[in-house]
Amino acid sequence: MLLEIKGLTARYNAGDVLKGIDLSVEEGEIVALIGSNGAGKSTTLRSISGLVANVSGSITFGGMPILGMKTGAIARLGLAHVPEGRRLFPGLTVRDNILLGASNRSGVSRSQMEREVDEVMDLFPNLKRLAGVYAWTLSGGEMQMVAVARGMMAKPKLLLLDEPSLGLAPMIVQQVFRIITEIRSRGATVLLVEQNANMALSVADRGYVLEAGTLLLSGKPEELWDNDHVRAAYLGGLAATA
Amino acid sequence: MSMLPQLLFTGIGIGSIYAMVSLGFVLLIRSANVVNFAQGEFSMLGAYLMLILLMSFHVPYFIALVVSVILMGVFGIVFGVITYWPLRTRGQIPVIISTIGAGILLENTVLATYGPSPQVLPGVFNASGVLVGNIFMDSQYLSIICTAFVLLALQYVIFEKTVVGKKIQATSQDRETAGLLGIPVVTLIFGIFFYSAALGGLAGILVAPILFVSVGIASVVALKAFAANIIGGFGSIPGAIIGGLLIGIVETLGAAYISVPYKDAYAFIMLIAVLLVRPQGLFGERVAEKA
Repeated sequence: MLLEIKGLTARYNAGDVLKGIDLSVEEGEIVALIGSNGAGKSTTLRSISGLVANVSGSITFGGMPILGMKTGAIARLGLAHVPEGRRLFPGLTVRDNILLGASNRSGVSRSQMEREVDEVMDLFPNLKRLAGVYAWTLSGGEMQMVAVARGMMAKPKLLLLDEPSLGLAPMIVQQVFRIITEIRSRGATVLLVEQNANMALSVADRGYVLEAGTLLLSGKPEELWDNDHVRAAYLGGLAATA
Repeated sequence: MSMLPQLLFTGIGIGSIYAMVSLGFVLLIRSANVVNFAQGEFSMLGAYLMLILLMSFHVPYFIALVVSVILMGVFGIVFGVITYWPLRTRGQIPVIISTIGAGILLENTVLATYGPSPQVLPGVFNASGVLVGNIFMDSQYLSIICTAFVLLALQYVIFEKTVVGKKIQATSQDRETAGLLGIPVVTLIFGIFFYSAALGGLAGILVAPILFVSVGIASVVALKAFAANIIGGFGSIPGAIIGGLLIGIVETLGAAYISVPYKDAYAFIMLIAVLLVRPQGLFGERVAEKA
């Protein structure tokens, strides 16, 4: 098991956001964590990355307990987190933003990093054209591409993707999910948090449904699609298609 | 008119000091988002430290210089731990107030210990200078200009061309995301506190033979360096350099051609003029919020 979460509880000032959730991700899987706004999806990812101070339970990554570890140390274990809202460095160029994705890896030469930036940019349409442009000038879709590219530069054992489709036009969402599928074909392991449950389940091997800080359901996408409550609440009443 | 080249040389010399201290400001702004109003006190402490090593312990000049700069760097880390670290999550204002408070404490501690009388610190070289054409190049001014230009060039290359420089910029722009990428945020920030204080201390040691060692050195240098930072564009490295040099030149020319008593006012008149015409400063970028 690459990532194993048991009894995870996270608390902000307003109260418990996560109430003892269990979740696991196997190597090579894409696992979707779906749920409505405020269900605790992003908090789950932030807890894994060590960004939430008040957490309890257990999180192991590659067999190593990581709860309580510093964010940077967790990243250096091979866990890349593409946060909600892209969070690019606005005053740096697209190329520099992507380059810094390799900061968790030691012993990589500058020339090697530059080569890898070129390789990663090849995966994304138009990114090469934007290489020298400051990140703050990009559109939402372009920012998302750069954020995912930056995550890939970490050569992560596990990529955490937080709401990659948020605020994007439908055509751009299709493009982002095409990239996620591409990442999957390269053998990457992904924990994907999405409000767009339909898209998330279309690329996932397994899914979890989170509601008000509690795990409601888990299973293969077709099992979730078949569930009446999930269909009504998160899939817009869509009939099972898988 | 024949005085002009000589005045320009002097102006560039004193402007190099402002540029160095201004760079200390810029580095902390860019790495930790800290506007350090005690940057001038770093210069004052560097000068006093050098004076103590030379006069009380009779340490040879260049060894005293290196030891002073290193000790100032270590002091910078202690300064960061006390004034910045406990307040790092509270926003910019509490940290600014904390640095102002620390500056007042440092100035008054030195005042209580060494008194208000200015003291003489010897220059880097014994020779008075060289005559090049009509310009007498004072050896102290030459040392300042050469040191400043080497350091400034080095700093520009580190920030703009190296991965470490980009990591420092990333840390300044979004510390949480920098940490998520595995950038050693805390190490970088305290490294900058070390360098910023060492740079301020070195500027103080270099300028002290001209301005004398006194508590007043802190406010003179800090205010001009801060003005240089605004004139050049807040947080801009080329801006800090050009802003510092411009202030040095303008105040030297103003003192020579207009009035000596108003020497310290010229920097701020220029500051107001630049802000009226170009509010973002000479090298600042106008950043608009995206909808």
